[in-house]
Amino acid sequence: MNIINLNNVEFGYGKLKVLRNIDLSVEEGQFLSIIGPNGAGKSTLLKVINNIYENYEGNISIYGKNAKDYKRKELARIISFVPQDTFLDFEFSIEELVFMGRYPFQKRFQNDAKHDYDISYRAMALTNTLEIKDRLITQISGGERQRALIAKALAQDPKIILLDEPTSHLDINHQIEVLELLKELNLKQNLTIISVLHDLNLASRYSDKLVLLKDGQILKSGSVEEVLTASNIENAYNMRAVVELNKFTNSLFVTPIESKKRNKNTSLPSIHLIAGGGSGQAIISRLLKEGVDLSVGVLNVGDSDWQLAKSLKVEMVEEKPFSAIKEETSYENLNLMRTKDIVVIAQVPIGHGNLLNLEMALTAINEGKEVIYVKENIEKNIDYTNGIATKIMNELILKGMIVLNSIEDLLNYLENYKRK
Amino acid sequence: MKHNYKKKSKLNILISLSVLLIIIVAIVSAIGSANIKALDVYRVIFSKIPIINKYVNMEKITDAQFAIIWNVRLPRVILGILVGASLSVAGVSFQGLLKNPMADPYILGVSSGAALGATVAIISQFEYVKYGFSSITFAAFIGAITAVFIVYNIGKINNKLSTNTLLLAGVAVGQFFTAIMSFLMVVNSNDMSKIIYWTMGSLSGKGWNPVKTLSIPILLTIVVLIYYSKELNILLTGDETAKSMGVNVERTKEIILVLGTLLTSLVVSVSGIIGFVGLIIPHITRIIFGPDHRILLPCSAIVGAIFMIITDTISRTLISPVEIPVGIITAMFGGPFFIYLLRSKKKMM
Repeated sequence: MNIINLNNVEFGYGKLKVLRNIDLSVEEGQFLSIIGPNGAGKSTLLKVINNIYENYEGNISIYGKNAKDYKRKELARIISFVPQDTFLDFEFSIEELVFMGRYPFQKRFQNDAKHDYDISYRAMALTNTLEIKDRLITQISGGERQRALIAKALAQDPKIILLDEPTSHLDINHQIEVLELLKELNLKQNLTIISVLHDLNLASRYSDKLVLLKDGQILKSGSVEEVLTASNIENAYNMRAVVELNKFTNSLFVTPIESKKRNKNTSLPSIHLIAGGGSGQAIISRLLKEGVDLSVGVLNVGDSDWQLAKSLKVEMVEEKPFSAIKEETSYENLNLMRTKDIVVIAQVPIGHGNLLNLEMALTAINEGKEVIYVKENIEKNIDYTNGIATKIMNELILKGMIVLNSIEDLLNYLENYKRK
Repeated sequence: MKHNYKKKSKLNILISLSVLLIIIVAIVSAIGSANIKALDVYRVIFSKIPIINKYVNMEKITDAQFAIIWNVRLPRVILGILVGASLSVAGVSFQGLLKNPMADPYILGVSSGAALGATVAIISQFEYVKYGFSSITFAAFIGAITAVFIVYNIGKINNKLSTNTLLLAGVAVGQFFTAIMSFLMVVNSNDMSKIIYWTMGSLSGKGWNPVKTLSIPILLTIVVLIYYSKELNILLTGDETAKSMGVNVERTKEIILVLGTLLTSLVVSVSGIIGFVGLIIPHITRIIFGPDHRILLPCSAIVGAIFMIITDTISRTLISPVEIPVGIITAMFGGPFFIYLLRSKKKMM
């Protein structure tokens, strides 16, 4: 059941629109996270939902009733809000703070009734703050303060709880502690949770639904799998990232790779790389960082170098997973080599399956192409073909292949290439 | 320090403080050149109450003693209670509302406005008495309200009160009014000492009149401010949090500001600018009783009243028969005591 509906909501300060065309619905019992880069309007969206910012355009309904038709106290009995960075300078005890949460239910001069005690103590028990209830909020750790603030929000006995970056300024153990607590409340109390989260991996791990904001608009909303794709992240954050399944948490994990802002560097020579099995990862990321026009091949689909190259959108010649390179694929690869200035061979183990890559390099050097072998580890044996690979390597060296011992040497070589 | 005062202990604290106030009222009323016993003070008070007065033995009290207690000492002590309570309550409210420990009742320009008003009345030699109040009192009240009105309108941006703008406007308008007052003082140097004495504050020689007129509005205002103590507590957690908890933040702020300045203006126009009480008593009470306004506001009213009448007694007896302006005494005795409390609190933590 949809309990919150936002219909074409816009909000801004003067002419500057902070939120535009926001359409969003939240189901009862959902754990929804709002993600997006700084300044995308995440906190603003949260505050508009809570009617803290009132002069928005469009329509927000909560439990079927227009948010603007609620009285403040009435709304506070349904939604509670945990703000970011609450600066509390006055020496209330945790217990006193949590009891404040009963405000929307109490009349003036009404003392705390048994009912208020029960709910406040239950809120403290759920958040593990009962044993520290007499401590002053000025004298507790960041994690404890966050739990106390969540306890205060729970004392409001809400159906929906909004949190603005509940994990910012917390150590990783406290981040997990707070989110585990929220997830537990979400599952056991059927509490609907809407949280702004900075950390994409925490968002993917705990949320049922994600909303990705950019420049005040919803770029994508839906399940974690729908929203957390490399292209959505690239679009929102202007950054390349790899999204893969984390085996430990069984949730999608985002690894930022590099900022997209760099343009191709035309002063460096273009390169075709022969790699595989992870041997090319360092070279690929370094060369891309320098802005080299790069292609890779042939790589089997699913190979770790293939995954990296794919996510970074490197031009590539592919072969089916776990199968030997076919002849026509390797000719395709040769054609790609012909368009580049230099062919670089990483220290890739050569077996019968990828021997054709090496043979094509030999063809290329015979055609006058410059070939460089980056031999990072002198000890390492790469020949799994009973000497055929070694024979080709020796022939390549005979034909003038340059052997370099590190990626740094390769980069130095490329720097000086233009002057030759 | 632990502040978990439950309902019962809250009530106990209030009762103990009230008893203490009643005892001190008798003691300070008895102190002075005339030979008066503390118990005589109660006899005089009870003799004025219908029904009870039949049971009071008045034989040992001479007419002169009666006159001193009833006409001189008691009105002055009760005015002291009103002034001390008002300044403390206004100070607590402003410190809480503006979340600024430097805030005092005068921070929004009340004192400078009142001083300028009083100065104008003094140098214009305009004598006018209505309802027992002098033209100086009226002019001071008008000056105070005018200053706050200006500050308030500067601090209101887009219909919202901005705390920082309010504080800065208070400082700027206050300085401006003080400058005009100083200029008027220099031009009319004959009245200088009278103006300076007024600005240092005094409770002497006011009689019953200000007590009769001011006690009801002052008590009502204090009660309404206590009525808002839950909101004051919640406002300490931030405006947005308060709003999300159902507090009508803007209206609450306006009401508290208006009531606080009204309280201060009423008191200042009668007694002059008595400094320090409204800054220090809120801090002292907060250190002792904690930040919960439900207990802090009533306690600070009583503690402020006690502090005021003790310091006023010192001001009239220290180099008797010369009266020292009470503002000097409040700072001279309150300052060191406050520093002592601050330091002992730090050691505890």
